[in-house]
Amino acid sequence: MTMNPGRWYERDERMIAAHHQPALLIDLLLARDISSHKILRGSGLFYDDILTGSHFISPAQLQQLITNGVKLLPDDDLSFRWGSSLWPGHYGVFSQLLAHAPDLERALQTLIDYRRFLSPLLVPRIYQDERYCYVQWLDACGVQDERRFMVETAMTGLTAMSRWLAQESLPWRYGFSYAQPKKDEQYQVYLGPDLHFSLGVDVMMIEKHWLKKAWPRGSATAFQVALREAQQQVSGTLPMQGFNEAVYHYLTQQLRAPQSLTEVAQAFAMSPATFKRKLQKHHCHFQQLQDQTRLHVCLYLFHINGWTNEQVAHYLNFNDTTNFRRAFKRWSGLTPSDSKQRLLFA
Amino acid sequence: MFSTLFLHRRKLFLIFGLALGSVIASTLVGDAKHWREIDWLDVLGEGGSAVAVAIWMLLILGSRPAGRVTDLLTLGLGFIFLAMWQDNLDEFIRIPAEQWWDAWLESVAMPFGIALLTYGLFHWHSEQLSINRQLAKRERLFREHRFIDGLTQLGRADYLKEQLQQHLNSCQPMTLMMVDINDFSAVNRRFGHREGDRLVREIAEILLLNLRQSDLICRYAGDRFALLLPGTPGEAALQLAHELELAVRHFAFKHSHSGETLYQRISIGLTECRPGDLPAQSIERVNQALLTAQHQQRCFLAA
Repeated sequence: MTMNPGRWYERDERMIAAHHQPALLIDLLLARDISSHKILRGSGLFYDDILTGSHFISPAQLQQLITNGVKLLPDDDLSFRWGSSLWPGHYGVFSQLLAHAPDLERALQTLIDYRRFLSPLLVPRIYQDERYCYVQWLDACGVQDERRFMVETAMTGLTAMSRWLAQESLPWRYGFSYAQPKKDEQYQVYLGPDLHFSLGVDVMMIEKHWLKKAWPRGSATAFQVALREAQQQVSGTLPMQGFNEAVYHYLTQQLRAPQSLTEVAQAFAMSPATFKRKLQKHHCHFQQLQDQTRLHVCLYLFHINGWTNEQVAHYLNFNDTTNFRRAFKRWSGLTPSDSKQRLLFA
Repeated sequence: MFSTLFLHRRKLFLIFGLALGSVIASTLVGDAKHWREIDWLDVLGEGGSAVAVAIWMLLILGSRPAGRVTDLLTLGLGFIFLAMWQDNLDEFIRIPAEQWWDAWLESVAMPFGIALLTYGLFHWHSEQLSINRQLAKRERLFREHRFIDGLTQLGRADYLKEQLQQHLNSCQPMTLMMVDINDFSAVNRRFGHREGDRLVREIAEILLLNLRQSDLICRYAGDRFALLLPGTPGEAALQLAHELELAVRHFAFKHSHSGETLYQRISIGLTECRPGDLPAQSIERVNQALLTAQHQQRCFLAA
């Protein structure tokens, strides 16, 4: 079975409005008396361009700004401060959608539907089981080196936005793909006490009844009006997913019968050499993406479907569970049972 | 980095002017040595030392405000630099013995410079003692500039852990307090990050003013402060927490443009540190206490 991977945006496409989220990041640095030429160094951007209000920058340029920011304010909470004012923000109709969202469910759906505008580097996906809603954060276009920064930003963003709109703190739980940083004070203060590291996936979870709880700041009518306007603004041909996200999504669909690089390249309508170059441009390897999708699907099947090792191994067409356990260890650094323990969030 | 250098331009002109003058004078009255006569090891040793002394001088000037102590330190190092410089010039240029100023620069400038530097260091010591008194609530007996938070000039969480570790080894009672500004993110959202930054800085000052000389305050992260109260059992610390809460409640923070008054409330969690605790355990307990305090809207002492 092959499917159409759809359209995507790439790292070097100028598609992020410079006066929206990038300007917010620049302002945070300017507020700490850092000169604008230091902030913009190496990004190919000029401060005057941003002031025009009609300049667009690429994901790669935004990433350069982040790299500069981290260098200029080491040991700072830049990612968390950026995150706490990121949403609803002032990004036209998309911010209106978030600001008027009647409940968490529709705020999340807005973030996903309009991720190109609201969260272009790290994009959210939602899963649900009987009890929980999971928000997974995925690299859209090769943000590799600043991934942790972006995870901190996005998770703080969703936490702060939901607290602002719900006018109470929501009991989010947080899982991180990476190991616990030596300094986790910022995590404690900006996110909360329920932190779980080394999970192989960046995910937030919350009990499902919070999805439908009405938000005092929300307005169903204003939301509907904004939604119609947003739908008109976004034509059907505008790609909503990043290149890495598109490949990830495609591989997830083909998981039970893994395809070779040549076959996947064909689905993306390119030669294997071009496809490889494109992966390289987006800071990833084919094998690494494939391992990642398999790990994430395993975690999904374990925790959301509650499957056993045997069932998952069988589903992924492994001959026996020993092989499966070995492979799982290679993808995640943990054995399946260790991983289950950690994700119990107990 | 060297933002204070321009304050000292006169002193710099004097020292480097004299150094340049001695080069010109030496070339005028002396003869250049043949390159085979030059002892390169001496050049490297003496010249290198002169350059190092000049760098020390610039570092001191670049990091200090103007004042008597700065003048003394600079002039002391300046004269030492001049003496070494002249000594080094002799390696390249043979200066006739009747030029009294050459010997004078070499042998008088050095002791003179050392005397000035010594006198300067003595005054620097007294100055430092008075600064230490000012800093007492921000740092306790241990200085590490890498642990200072850039916004509030308080120690960061690393510094707190360091201090906590040292105090946990002694057996007197000690209380750890965590202070958090209520609804701080709303301030940021409504008034912007510059106002938020200023609020954090000013609340830090309020807390500092209401502490005892023996207490230590650090910025834990964001809008959360950690206070270490050595020699204080939990009940006494709770009293202090109420005082802090009152002080912040009555603090009329002014918006920098509109002048509007923004009143703030804080939540405080406390825990007594137990002997044998690891710093991380005490911190985890006090963070939990803070969550309870935020929930119950009153200062909360964890058992």
